[in-house]
Amino acid sequence: MVLTWRAVALAALGVVPVLLTRTVATVLLWAVVVALVAAVDAALAASPRDVSVQRTVPRAVRLTEHARSTLVLRNGSRRRFSGVVRDAWQPSAGAQGDRHPLDLPPGEQRRTVTVLVPTRRGDRRADRVTLRALGPLGVAGRQASIPVPGTLRVLPEFASRRHLPSRLARLRELDGQAAVQIRGEGTEFDSLREYVIGDDVRSIDWRASARGQEMVVRTWRPERDRRVLVVLDTARTSAARIGDQPRLDASIEAGLLLGALASKAGDRVEMVAYDRELRARVAGAAGPRLLPALADAMAPLEASLVETDWPGLVALVRERLSQRSLVVILSTLEPAAIETGLLPVVEQLTAHHTVVLASVADPAVAALREGRSTAAEVFDAAAAERTELERAAATMVLGRRGVDVVSALPDELAPRLADTYLSLKAAGRL
Amino acid sequence: MDKASTLVAPDGPVAPGGEATRPAGTTTTSSTTSDGPAVRGDGTTAASRAGRRWRASRVVVVGLLSALLAGLVLVALTPSTTTVRLDPGNPSPDGAMALAQVLGDQGVDVRSTRSVAEAVGLAGPGTTLLVVDDYGMPDDVARSLLGTGSEVVLVAPGPALLAAATDQVTHASRSPQPTTPSPARCTEPDAAAAGEVTTAGGRFRAGDSATGATALCFTDDSGAGHYAVTTLDGSPDVTLRVLDDGSGLTNAAVTTAGNAALGLRMLGHEETLVWLVPERPTTADDGGGITAYLPPWAVPLAAQLLLVVLVLGLWQGRRLGPLATEDLPVVVRSSETTLGRGRLYRRSRSYGHAGASLRAGAADRMARRLGLPRSSSPDALVDAVCRATRRPPEHVSGLLYGPPPTGDVGLTRLATDLDELESEVHRA
Repeated sequence: MVLTWRAVALAALGVVPVLLTRTVATVLLWAVVVALVAAVDAALAASPRDVSVQRTVPRAVRLTEHARSTLVLRNGSRRRFSGVVRDAWQPSAGAQGDRHPLDLPPGEQRRTVTVLVPTRRGDRRADRVTLRALGPLGVAGRQASIPVPGTLRVLPEFASRRHLPSRLARLRELDGQAAVQIRGEGTEFDSLREYVIGDDVRSIDWRASARGQEMVVRTWRPERDRRVLVVLDTARTSAARIGDQPRLDASIEAGLLLGALASKAGDRVEMVAYDRELRARVAGAAGPRLLPALADAMAPLEASLVETDWPGLVALVRERLSQRSLVVILSTLEPAAIETGLLPVVEQLTAHHTVVLASVADPAVAALREGRSTAAEVFDAAAAERTELERAAATMVLGRRGVDVVSALPDELAPRLADTYLSLKAAGRL
Repeated sequence: MDKASTLVAPDGPVAPGGEATRPAGTTTTSSTTSDGPAVRGDGTTAASRAGRRWRASRVVVVGLLSALLAGLVLVALTPSTTTVRLDPGNPSPDGAMALAQVLGDQGVDVRSTRSVAEAVGLAGPGTTLLVVDDYGMPDDVARSLLGTGSEVVLVAPGPALLAAATDQVTHASRSPQPTTPSPARCTEPDAAAAGEVTTAGGRFRAGDSATGATALCFTDDSGAGHYAVTTLDGSPDVTLRVLDDGSGLTNAAVTTAGNAALGLRMLGHEETLVWLVPERPTTADDGGGITAYLPPWAVPLAAQLLLVVLVLGLWQGRRLGPLATEDLPVVVRSSETTLGRGRLYRRSRSYGHAGASLRAGAADRMARRLGLPRSSSPDALVDAVCRATRRPPEHVSGLLYGPPPTGDVGLTRLATDLDELESEVHRA
């Protein structure tokens, strides 16, 4: 039972007889009249439980883009349904105008469309569909909230894809596919061809040249079919916010860009998300199927408030990878966590693989370091200075054990990691 | 790229890379949507919903009902008492319950009323009519009270009622005296039996046409008395007793001196006593409260507006479906640990620690700027900085490796001095 503004107007209309009779009994009588009219009107309304509801929603949408949640409503009662329907979603699904007026004769069906502009990565669930049917007078009506399941997977924004074209161009330069062929260092021997003016004289293959009439040079290309394992740390340090998003989101951006780049470069990319147990894994996907698989696997990840199980992670990596690979750990360069967690086990990784640790730096710490106006700010600046020094020390220690450390602000981490990957590839260290 | 469907790969997941990541020719346009099942109703019936609502609210409903019942029982069991002064049902100090109960125990049928009309109906020959505090009763009402044929006792009568009853006695218009016991000083048997009474009234004196049948008791030196016994004008066989004030009959004072004796005897002459405490007439000046100032339509209109507000509340209070809830990730600032360390420094006044951190940070940056290895000695760094800034060595070494600062001022100066030195190195 619901009332509308018309019920209020009806109650207000009672002022006239009350002023004419000037007794409180009239008020009571009028209250009974309003209640009766409302009850009869509600009883004459179509039953909202006789309306069948079907929800159609895209399986997934990228953050910052919009999706449409479509409800198909079919009136199964013998009365005309006249009222409102609300397609409720969780707040961060960003439903724009989820209330729709509905006029539905018996046996017919209508569709309503609610535009969703999600504001947060992850699985966004639909809430109940509320149907409010008003009676013929529009004074009162009936209402029911019906659970209609629906889930929209909001994929990471992948804003760092704007860096992809420039990195792909550099990759093509490495690959020898560019108009100007340049020779990479430490790369695979590809083929022999005739010398043309402008080639590096150091690449002349003297032995082959001596056999024939022409000068012959060797050409090279970067290795292909190397394995890249992206390890996403989803433990407590990833929950910390940098700006207005968790550190995990910046790590996901970097992981996606690296995955896109590496798969273009012909490497086989795998991804695992891990804290104390395996949260997500992408393996065996290649070519155009890799990136959708990566995004889909990363979308619902949330940082859990536990400490990373580094030995478990190392065991997982060794189980997954047999040949020499590039292991990219997207975690944090928090000195305490590194000293007690990664450092004791990192040599088991570096012994077999090339290891890169990518960490999101916090611009707030850099800002703290500048504070000079009060003594309190200077203390904070000293603390920030100490943090930076410890980070530098941790970077050095890790570097000595063979780990490349990439630490950058959230927006710059993805391109910096991509550049690191390209330079490793150019140096033939994969 | 504005439509979600163009992003969706045939096997479901969306390619977040967009066009740039997809090889030419593999445009994926098939929209992968999930059609949920058609849902009709929420699996409840009117009976199941009513049952659920009853189960949800039964504790409250049963509690309210039992509270209501307990209240009704309490009201029914509590003897009805009033707070009206000199009322026979009032047990408080200014009531007269004690007197009425003793009279009842002695066999007198005490009938209490506050309505003049009811009192006229109850009174008659063979009864005693007691009128307490008449508040200036109009003449016609007084006459109808006095013409019932019953004996009349007036306690603290107004001038109009007294004049209507008799012209044998009139008010003496004395200012009320403190309630000191006054002796009877007369032969009237009731007063004589009482001996002394305490009363604070303004006394009576004999009227101009007083006859010997009128007795004035508890008189003072001038002959004015607190109590008079005479007959009604017009009906000489009906006795009229007048007491100038009822304070001697209250629960508080009835046991003092001979108050009880006078009251019991005065009121106990007949089998039935009609005890009238007239309702105070409502006038605009006293009683009625603020409603007396309002126009007659105000109260009904206010009630109607209350109804409108109630309906308005019901309209606005019903939400279109429940609130949608969601679990949100924790909000922990990444710089929290750094800030915490800063507060720790501050609380423990670790000027030395803070200063060392600032110096180490500045030295590290300057060394990198000047191309010195991390392992280089302090002397080498000071030397390089001096050459870059042309400052005296002792000044630079004092700044970088001097004694730790000891106070807020020292720490702040160290920080700004280091900044200055660093900026000179960077400019160099």
